[in-house]
Amino acid sequence: MQRRRLIGNLLNYLFMTVFALLFISPILFMIVGSFKPDAQVLSDMGTLNAFFPDEVTVQNYRDVFERAPFGRYLFNSAVVNGFIVGLGLLVNSLAGYALARLRWRGRRLVLNFVLAVMVIPFEAIAVPLFYQVTVLGWRNDYWVQIFPFIAYPLSIYLFYSFFLGMPKELEEAARIDGAGPLRTFFVIIVPNAKPAFASVAIVTLLLFWGLYLWPLLVTAGESVRPLPLGIATFYTLPPLQWGDILAFGVMMVAPILIVFLLFQRWFVRGVASTGLKG
Amino acid sequence: MILVIIAVLFLPSGCGGGEKDGPERLDIWIHSAQPDERETLLAQVDRFNESQKEIEARATVIPEGSYNGQVQASAVAGDLPDLLEFDGPYMYNYAWQGMLLAIGDRLPGSVTRALLPTLIEQGTYNDTFYSVGNYDSGLGLYADRGKLEKAGVRVPEGPAGAWTIAEFNSALAALAEQDADGKVLDLKLNYGNEYFTYAYSPVLVSAGGDLIDRSDYQSADGVLNGPESVQAMKQVQGWFEKGYVDQNLDDAAFTGGRVALSWVGHWEYGRYSKALGEELVILPLPDFGNGTRTGQGSWNWGITRFAEKPENAVRFLEFILQPGEVLAMVEANGAVPGTRTAIEQSRRYKEDGPLRLFAVQLMEGYSVPRPRTPAYPIISSAFAEAFHDIRNGGDVQTVLDEAVRIIDQDIQTNNGYPPQERKKEQADHHHL
Amino acid sequence: MADTEKRTRHNRRVRDDRPVALAMLTPGLVGMIVFIVIPFLTAIFLSFTNRRLGSPLPVEFTGFRQYLLVLTDASFLRAIVNNIIFLLVVVPVQTGLALALALLLNRKLKGMVIFRTLFFMPVVFPMSLIAVIWVLIYAPGQSGMMNSLLEIVTFGYWEPKDFLHNPWLALPAVMLLSVWQGTGFQMIVLLAGLQGIPHTLYEAAALDGAGKWHQFRHVTLPQLRNPLIFVVIVTSILSFRVFDQVRIMTRGGPNDASTTVVFEAIRAGFDRAQVARGAAMTVIFFLIVLTITLIQRHFFRHEE
Repeated sequence: MQRRRLIGNLLNYLFMTVFALLFISPILFMIVGSFKPDAQVLSDMGTLNAFFPDEVTVQNYRDVFERAPFGRYLFNSAVVNGFIVGLGLLVNSLAGYALARLRWRGRRLVLNFVLAVMVIPFEAIAVPLFYQVTVLGWRNDYWVQIFPFIAYPLSIYLFYSFFLGMPKELEEAARIDGAGPLRTFFVIIVPNAKPAFASVAIVTLLLFWGLYLWPLLVTAGESVRPLPLGIATFYTLPPLQWGDILAFGVMMVAPILIVFLLFQRWFVRGVASTGLKG
Repeated sequence: MILVIIAVLFLPSGCGGGEKDGPERLDIWIHSAQPDERETLLAQVDRFNESQKEIEARATVIPEGSYNGQVQASAVAGDLPDLLEFDGPYMYNYAWQGMLLAIGDRLPGSVTRALLPTLIEQGTYNDTFYSVGNYDSGLGLYADRGKLEKAGVRVPEGPAGAWTIAEFNSALAALAEQDADGKVLDLKLNYGNEYFTYAYSPVLVSAGGDLIDRSDYQSADGVLNGPESVQAMKQVQGWFEKGYVDQNLDDAAFTGGRVALSWVGHWEYGRYSKALGEELVILPLPDFGNGTRTGQGSWNWGITRFAEKPENAVRFLEFILQPGEVLAMVEANGAVPGTRTAIEQSRRYKEDGPLRLFAVQLMEGYSVPRPRTPAYPIISSAFAEAFHDIRNGGDVQTVLDEAVRIIDQDIQTNNGYPPQERKKEQADHHHL
Repeated sequence: MADTEKRTRHNRRVRDDRPVALAMLTPGLVGMIVFIVIPFLTAIFLSFTNRRLGSPLPVEFTGFRQYLLVLTDASFLRAIVNNIIFLLVVVPVQTGLALALALLLNRKLKGMVIFRTLFFMPVVFPMSLIAVIWVLIYAPGQSGMMNSLLEIVTFGYWEPKDFLHNPWLALPAVMLLSVWQGTGFQMIVLLAGLQGIPHTLYEAAALDGAGKWHQFRHVTLPQLRNPLIFVVIVTSILSFRVFDQVRIMTRGGPNDASTTVVFEAIRAGFDRAQVARGAAMTVIFFLIVLTITLIQRHFFRHEE
């Protein structure tokens, strides 16, 4: 019995390992390829050599900085996402709290409004929103990339359901002591809702770090463009050097990957607790 | 750190005015282009800035994939630069929309008189001169002489001696026999959309067809989907079906020696001549029945109506149109110099120069301008899509019928693009 | 007595909450109205005009003309068909794969967290980056990675194909990469669902002599109902939202073989400056998404 289970586990591991390797092979290929001379990326691709460098070089990484304003793209992405996530946490947690914990007429109505708006995908408003900001002359800066995504119904909903599940005793005590809802929120709720803030922060960061459509429509040039447009542009910029493109990719995903690995548990919790996205 | 971020957020982006003391700012948009061309242009901007103290030119590189979309949106948003580079034929649409200032009376006569007639022709819409180029383009077949000789293929001399389409097809067959994988032709499939209109619409004209009826520019019906155009595109499709065409994913089909022929413009001369040396020959495109035809026109400059001081943009244009600067640019991108004097001074384009063919094609009427109508952007995108569909095996007649439908529908929804009165030239005029 | 006093005091606060609640909601509500509701209404308005960005011609109301043009446009109809194919293939495949992975990972074995992280990793990658990398993976000719892989698994029978330029393979190629990128997310949701199933249910089933399959069929699946519904709805909607990978990899080609509704809307509204046309497509897109949501909610509610 014991032996059978051991063999079963071993088979399980073996299968998982093979499958996992296959699954992440595109990622391995990207990482390995980024350290190869350009010509070799293509010539090795059809063989297992694609995953084994025999001549490691960081030339591609140097090329990226020489041929593209990578630092600028990274900075732009950091600014835009920093504000979307930061301001988003504030705005959406306040709204979520008002919906979950305060008693007032019209609460249901507003809650239904949030749920209804959640159904509208961004793609359904991209063209008219593009038209509106364009006609207003609002283009090609950071704010136009930030503002549309601060108030985010999904985040409101995530906060709403988290606050709904919090024990009431703490805030009731505070309110009996005469603290108003705002004060209660900032002094009592926020410190006790760190997991919720962490979850929403990481979920929204993952959603917005890869934003491509909107900046494509409202930015030109490189001064405010974020990384996803950076890579798409870099890929069309002659001469076509695949090693450089892969190096760009590695550097582009590295920050978000690190953040994800560090805070993975909050993300999993965020997704799992509500089972919602998009 | 936070302070830095906040400071950056409030910095004016895009076009700024020259409010502060010091030089006035001149914003310029340029396309990403080939690296040599891009670097040369940026160096020209630097030289311009060093040559005088009043104006500081700043160039922004805009990726080509969505260039027109960016220009259109920025025009409405009032966020266009002072000086705009664009692919020549887009000017008709931009001028029709009132996006550009007339350039003819602003440039000194000595400058305009020196320009190639093809450039004047391309830059004129509604009898007004709107855009100027510092170079024109050349398009042909780059060939590996050794491979042609080995396959026993005649090497044509000059545009009059171009291969007939039958000769071209048998040349492809003979070359394919000598070739390991049978792929002997590079059509630059890795390029973006505009290239396909530029490079393959001359084929239609050579066959007796065209992109649109040029008498009034009101319909493409019977022209783009007429029997001549269909026949021509069937020939092109045949090259794909017979497996002659290299995908060119790495843009090294010709330089890597994989193919004997590369159908491309002047801008590859530098790279190709480095790779092939003496073996490189440049041939006219095949003759589909009415003599060889080739593309013309290239990226151009126009002053936008947002330019507060158009005279600053003019000074920049005068600077890059000086013979020395024109030569510096064509040295980098291989283009045909935009002035006759520069042509005669250019070691590549002068009599017996290696690229003389391109100059001859332009000066002796073998080149076809792209349609001079505000409908051009839609014509170009419809034809480029049709080209891809044909490449991928679509039925030629059906595909071209669909392209005609798209073009004609666009012209109809725009009431036939009626000529607009020239806008009063106010920098602040906002047209919403 | 003390109790009632507390309640009345509380009640007084209830009435007091309204101004504060509105104040707390205002930034969020204003944001959603300005950036979601108004653009959405604008889309409807624009779709009844002939508005073009930058055109000097006057704007006219054209009634349902844009809808008529859009709904008789071969490319747009093809886009709708493509999105439906996408949905019909990707939703079952991705959900099935995610469920299988979640079941495999839902064991008390060491290292499962590592595997979970690996399978989830593609989700972290921006689509624009993945699309560019997969252009290379789908490279034509024998040296292409996907071509070599297929050649190995078919023992040499596979003829190298140019996936992204083949009318039959372009859409499947885009679907495969979308499945690859999305599976990890569904897996996490389902895994969380699995971990929420009380162990006693399995024990009871085992006592009744139920085998593994029986347990899966009668305990796991019913207990996973909500996460599964959620996953199916989200994946269906995402199937209609496909844009980035199409824009970067195929630009809708060849022959519209991989075009999508959103791609067509952006091509019209942005690339061709036909704002009204793009807006009409946008409205149709929203109606489709809404219909999917309603049908699925209805369908699953009835299964209850």
